[in-house]
Amino acid sequence: MMKSVMEVLLLLMLFFTAHAKEKSYSPPEKTTQTRCRSPEKETFTCWWEPGSDGGLPTTYALYYRKENSETVYECPDYHTAGENSCFFNKNDTSIWVNYNISVVATNALGRAFSDPVDIDVVYIVEPNPPEKLTVVVMEDKGWPFLLVSWEPPHKADTRSGWITLIYELRVRLEEEEDDWEMHHAGQQKMFNIFSLRSGGEYLVEVRCKPDHGFWSEWSSTSYVKVPDYFHREKSMWILVAVFSALIFLILTWLLHMNSHSLKHCILPPVPGPKIKGFDNKLLKNGNSDEIFSALVVPNFPPASASKYEEMLVEYLEVYVPEEPELMLEESKDLLDGCLKSENSRSDSDSGRGSCNSHTLLMDKCGETKEEERQTNRESSLMETQGWKEEAINHDTSGKVKTWPSVYSPLPQYGSNPLDKQSSLETAKQHSLSTSSFLIQPGTKDALGPSYTDFCLSNKENHLHPQTLAHRALQTRSDVNISNIGCKRSPATEYVEVQRVNKEDMVLLQPVVSRCGHIEGCPNLPKGEDYSKLKGVDCDNRLLLQREGTGEDVCPCVDQETNREGGNCYTSSTVSTTQKPTACMYTAMPLQEETALSLNGYVDTATMGNLPSC
Amino acid sequence: MPGTIRSVSLVWVVLLVCLSSRRTSVGAAPICTNGQVGCHVLSLDNLFDRVIQHSARMHGISSDLHSEFEQYFLPSKNQIGRVGRICHTSTIITPNGKENAQRMAREQLTEVILKLLIAWRDPLWHFHQSISHHHDFNNFSSNKALEMNDMVHELRQGVEKVAEKMQVLGIISNSVTSLASPDVLLPSDSADWRLMKDYDLLYCFRRDSNKVQNFLKILKCRIVPDHGC
Repeated sequence: MMKSVMEVLLLLMLFFTAHAKEKSYSPPEKTTQTRCRSPEKETFTCWWEPGSDGGLPTTYALYYRKENSETVYECPDYHTAGENSCFFNKNDTSIWVNYNISVVATNALGRAFSDPVDIDVVYIVEPNPPEKLTVVVMEDKGWPFLLVSWEPPHKADTRSGWITLIYELRVRLEEEEDDWEMHHAGQQKMFNIFSLRSGGEYLVEVRCKPDHGFWSEWSSTSYVKVPDYFHREKSMWILVAVFSALIFLILTWLLHMNSHSLKHCILPPVPGPKIKGFDNKLLKNGNSDEIFSALVVPNFPPASASKYEEMLVEYLEVYVPEEPELMLEESKDLLDGCLKSENSRSDSDSGRGSCNSHTLLMDKCGETKEEERQTNRESSLMETQGWKEEAINHDTSGKVKTWPSVYSPLPQYGSNPLDKQSSLETAKQHSLSTSSFLIQPGTKDALGPSYTDFCLSNKENHLHPQTLAHRALQTRSDVNISNIGCKRSPATEYVEVQRVNKEDMVLLQPVVSRCGHIEGCPNLPKGEDYSKLKGVDCDNRLLLQREGTGEDVCPCVDQETNREGGNCYTSSTVSTTQKPTACMYTAMPLQEETALSLNGYVDTATMGNLPSC
Repeated sequence: MPGTIRSVSLVWVVLLVCLSSRRTSVGAAPICTNGQVGCHVLSLDNLFDRVIQHSARMHGISSDLHSEFEQYFLPSKNQIGRVGRICHTSTIITPNGKENAQRMAREQLTEVILKLLIAWRDPLWHFHQSISHHHDFNNFSSNKALEMNDMVHELRQGVEKVAEKMQVLGIISNSVTSLASPDVLLPSDSADWRLMKDYDLLYCFRRDSNKVQNFLKILKCRIVPDHGC
């Protein structure tokens, strides 16, 4: 009895313990992450992640149903692909067919269905990595490159065209971690890598992908060491760098040297104001008051007229110098007449207008000179004119010494330092000469052809005929000349032509016997204007006779007398014209070289002497 | 000035001549069927490459469009997937694996390709019409649909050319019936596609375009194995 009770209790305990043990088990959870992959589009494998098995031994089964088929198949191969996987071999693999796959976990307590997965093998292809990756360092024209080649995964049947793979490779230097350089190789199974670092060790990997699938894993890494070639490259770069630096230096130097001229050329400076006393710095400072004050010359508007004059004088100093020079040259030669007339005019205090302006004077004198030159050429034919010239020349030469005195009355020439000296001298002479000059009022009307002839040398008279009457002869210079002439030829006792002034006046200095005796000079003012050729003495001397009458000695007369032959002394009477100029010609027998020499009256020796005077 | 204009225009002319010559030689050389003078005779492998590229592009477009559709129908994706899709081209017996495909004769393979392309001639046009009238799709999708439609036509013409070329070369026999009368190849239930939804239609086309591409590759590697195989 007791034994039976004990057995029941034991059984009960066993039952309860057993029941309690069974209660801790549960049906399996559904599998997750069902994924399938086909490495070559011929077979495929699916894997799953088992869930909780519920504490009981659980079996997993994969069931699939093909598209357009109601038949459900179980996985043909659970072992080939390992645990928790199903391998579909070629026979079980259909392309372009949808597989509806689900995994069922089953244990003693129940089963669990995973979420179904729809797959098309075409789109689950993930090939194996490429194989037989080789990297070789090649050299092309001295530059190394990596030749990378590989083989497609052996399972992938690329030869038949069933699967088409494209490749990608990545390269990095060993020291640069995770700094891969990617290269797309397309369908080709080799690739060249350039631009390598000298002496670097490279890592190369390849992977592949079907045209509609997934990239494979990276292939095994291939190592390659690039040989040292950098020294060649470096040396070349050093050369290039040095050369370019040299060029750069030269360029900068040139630029620096020419910077000023370049700047001047591109941006020419604005010309600054060139005003005397104008300060640019003041202008830049912008102080207008100072600028204008600087511009104002102190005492600029002259307070008095005297200052004006001073300024004028200054002005003349600047511009005059050339003109007096001209005056000097020309008047020294031939313009004595003009100058004389000026002189005389100033004496007579009349005829100012004739030579008022010095420029006018210049013109007149210039013309005179021209004409006289012309007559010089014709002197052989027209002896009278020749005489005239000679006389004038002679006068001029005699007057060279005293010409500046002409200007002494003119204020503007008074400032000439050269003239200042001479003005004093001439003033003295002037006072001396006043007594001896000759005025011929009556001859104004009688300016005949001879007058015009004469006026070739003195245009001034043409322009101002009314002043002719007032022209006077200066005797002071006559005195000089006569003195000189006498000194040189004291023995000859020639009658010397002292000077020929205007056509109206002739200054004669007849040397009757001895020098020092001046006959003509005192007579002239008395009205005995006309000298008459008295005769030729035995010594071939010309003897002049002054007369109070209007006997004229015309230039033409001399010629006439010459033609008449030998009667040179009587010829002077032929001239009826009351011209003072006649005196002049008669006063110059010495220079009748051609005419008188024929007669032998003129002493040639004296002829030479006179021009020298 | 006229000189420069002349020289510039000369340069342009030269450039145009170069470009046009390149284009004619590389791009659009006419296929000489009757041996016309001046046309460039393309090699068979070149022709194959062209049609393969064309099919790949066509398949790419269909895949893109399919992805868009998947995004569009994402909430009901599972439901769609569970619906048994029966493509209207499923009646065309096609090899379902490499070995089957390799077992097929060249003529058969060519005929299968042509059949598939012909079968998609009308559905794609209607698919384009449906997409363009569908407000949920943008112009991008519509243009892709139209492009697919055009490409199917072009690819069919290209494959026909290749088939003619192969026949001329004696590689395949003249038994390809689709070349003679394409309409004969149309399946009897060719109007089934009218009952299909746009998404299913696109799904089927994506697959068929991939089939065409793969068959063409197989055909090419069988006939001209040394070129890129």
